[in-house]
Amino acid sequence: MGVRRYTKMAYKDPDEMVFGHAKFPVLEHWNVQFGAGYVVPEVKVAPEPGTERSKETLVKEMASIAEQAAARAVDIGLPAFMVEQEHVFQQTYHADWGYACTLAQAEVLKKYYDEYGVCAALRQTVGDLRIEEKGGLRGSEYDNAIAQCVEECCKAGASDICAETMGGKSVLDYGVMRGDIRAILFGIGYLGSIDMEYFWKRTVAQCAKYDTRPAGDTNCSGANTCMYVAGGLLGKDMSHTGAALARAISAARSLVAVECGATGPLKDCGYENTIIKAITGVPICQEGKNAVCAHADVMGNLTCQVVDCWSNESVFHREEMGGPTPAVWLQATGYEAALMNTAIQTGNAKTLRDLYTFTDMFRDPQGTLLAYPNAYRVGKAIVEYGKDIYLRARAAALEASKIMMEAYEAKLLQMTRFELDTLRKYTSILESLPMEAEIFVDQCMREYPRKIPTFDPKSYGL
Amino acid sequence: MALLDWAKKADFDMIFKRYNVIIEGPAIKPEDDPDVKKVLPTAEPFKSLAMAVIFGDSEKAVQAAKSALDRGTAPLDVIEKGLAKGMDAVSALYAKGAYFLPDIMLSADAMTAAMQVAEQKLGRAREKKGTVVSFVAEGDPHDIGKNLVVMFLKANGFEAIDLGRDVPNSQVVDAVKKYKPVMLTGTALMTTTMTAFPKVAEMLKEQGLSVPVFGCGGGAVKRDFVESYDMGVYGVKAFHAPKLAEAALAGKSFKDIRKEYPKIVGEFVAEYADRM
Repeated sequence: MGVRRYTKMAYKDPDEMVFGHAKFPVLEHWNVQFGAGYVVPEVKVAPEPGTERSKETLVKEMASIAEQAAARAVDIGLPAFMVEQEHVFQQTYHADWGYACTLAQAEVLKKYYDEYGVCAALRQTVGDLRIEEKGGLRGSEYDNAIAQCVEECCKAGASDICAETMGGKSVLDYGVMRGDIRAILFGIGYLGSIDMEYFWKRTVAQCAKYDTRPAGDTNCSGANTCMYVAGGLLGKDMSHTGAALARAISAARSLVAVECGATGPLKDCGYENTIIKAITGVPICQEGKNAVCAHADVMGNLTCQVVDCWSNESVFHREEMGGPTPAVWLQATGYEAALMNTAIQTGNAKTLRDLYTFTDMFRDPQGTLLAYPNAYRVGKAIVEYGKDIYLRARAAALEASKIMMEAYEAKLLQMTRFELDTLRKYTSILESLPMEAEIFVDQCMREYPRKIPTFDPKSYGL
Repeated sequence: MALLDWAKKADFDMIFKRYNVIIEGPAIKPEDDPDVKKVLPTAEPFKSLAMAVIFGDSEKAVQAAKSALDRGTAPLDVIEKGLAKGMDAVSALYAKGAYFLPDIMLSADAMTAAMQVAEQKLGRAREKKGTVVSFVAEGDPHDIGKNLVVMFLKANGFEAIDLGRDVPNSQVVDAVKKYKPVMLTGTALMTTTMTAFPKVAEMLKEQGLSVPVFGCGGGAVKRDFVESYDMGVYGVKAFHAPKLAEAALAGKSFKDIRKEYPKIVGEFVAEYADRM
């Protein structure tokens, strides 16, 4: 299967983008549609630590997560919902575990669909077990285990498959720790894109054999690492402007899944998804204010702006005062989705979208960058160089820099000296990088394999 | 577009406040910071060595070390009275939020490069404060936290044995047997890989082994979980690792460290607010 590079935008104007609507909606079994005029709430719950001790205990745990979510969906009258299961190591490593766990959840959701007509989707996010220094990213024992698990999940009834692949992470981590924007660009933008193509060509072909959508892949290991290392306003590990540049670069990388045939809805923790939706028109999942159970962030409302499936990100499987966490957190995302669906039904969608956006647009540089009119600009910068994975990632970062500087100069976005200095320094480095991918790669290959022992160029065909 | 109109009219202070901008003091040179002044040597060549570390300039640090050694300064003095003092200053700047992670890493690189020059002259590695073994839990490929822990330990004079990521529990036990560390550190991003920690603690006990402190932290790891098994101390920040190791060296048990964590690391730690 080929790779279709995007050289133009799916949307003519950013104002066309709104939550619950995508240019190319996706229909999954049990009658859930994403991006077809309504927002679907999602719940994701991590199995209780210790339940991974045997296949039997894990399967039971999975069934219980699905059952508790489905029961609450019916109890509070949700028209549709998604259960996402991010795999624990054992679930992906042992394909028979992956099969049995998926089947157990699929049976529960089908039962509720048959009995109540509640539309449900089951997402299986396989773990990227691959480690560069342990056999490499291609054809290793871990890589083969993932491929086998994808196949088994499809067979067992997964509605769609997602991943959070780790390509380029060794170089990215080096860049984060040393404040080296070139390494961040090389790690996420170049190496990450190469690995995505390897991973998603295969996954798309596997899903095509079943009634399972190849949904997408987030740069959790890259841009989210940067965002979490940067932390809150008082964080002292990475500048928020640097993390925002990494986010822009990650859009060029996560786009590759769609170019290989992934359909969306793109996975929830991809904060770069707004940019990719603007380019491709595929529906997206997002997380924000209802993911407080998983992490703190500085754009809890903004990420609702053009979402099609609203998620809680992750929570331990345990009891809250309001019930078990699959029920409680589906209720949280369910009511937020209901608000958005009400806005759509009453003709207020664009107003609500703009309210969501405006609350966080200048709270943090990354919010400025991801506000949908600006995310659209980054998308345009990417498609301008759409056929070159290096140049488009570089262009995304430079456009992001321009957006943040404009907001700063307009006195809308405040920055600390550290944020401003880092932005200026990184921008000047990015501007000085060559306009030919070959030269850039050559420069990087002279330096990073020597400095980063865990970086395995062979994993990227280099 | 509504957003642009709102941007002209809105009082942002009623929506959010960027406290990092609000609390930012005037720009000062690192060497003028009062906490840096306390540790920065005034005499040469030590001041130049320390300053090269503070500015994370590997080339200058190596140059300053070579020049000091050529002029007869003892290699150990180059390290202890110059380079290490620069690193102490960097730690102080980081703790108060004036320096950021990349600054620390570049300073650590500068210190390592210059220290190698001094150790070459010395004919051996300088004596380390103690040995710490660090690993990422079995099944977990996320190692940025562990890499930070290792860097902070090395920069603070510890021998840090880095077992890597996705490390089988048995390999951790073997390393404890071999190195008899003053501290073991384990990191995990995922809730299901962190279950390796109690298993390691149990395996150590079964083999009659123990470590003064088994510092565990990362992503989903929480204090109540870590304190549910023997030796476990919940590590909140990577830069706390050397302080915990020093406490263990000073004879504190894991139970003492649990109780005195904020005092030991020298700052307010929300996760230990009940033990301030």
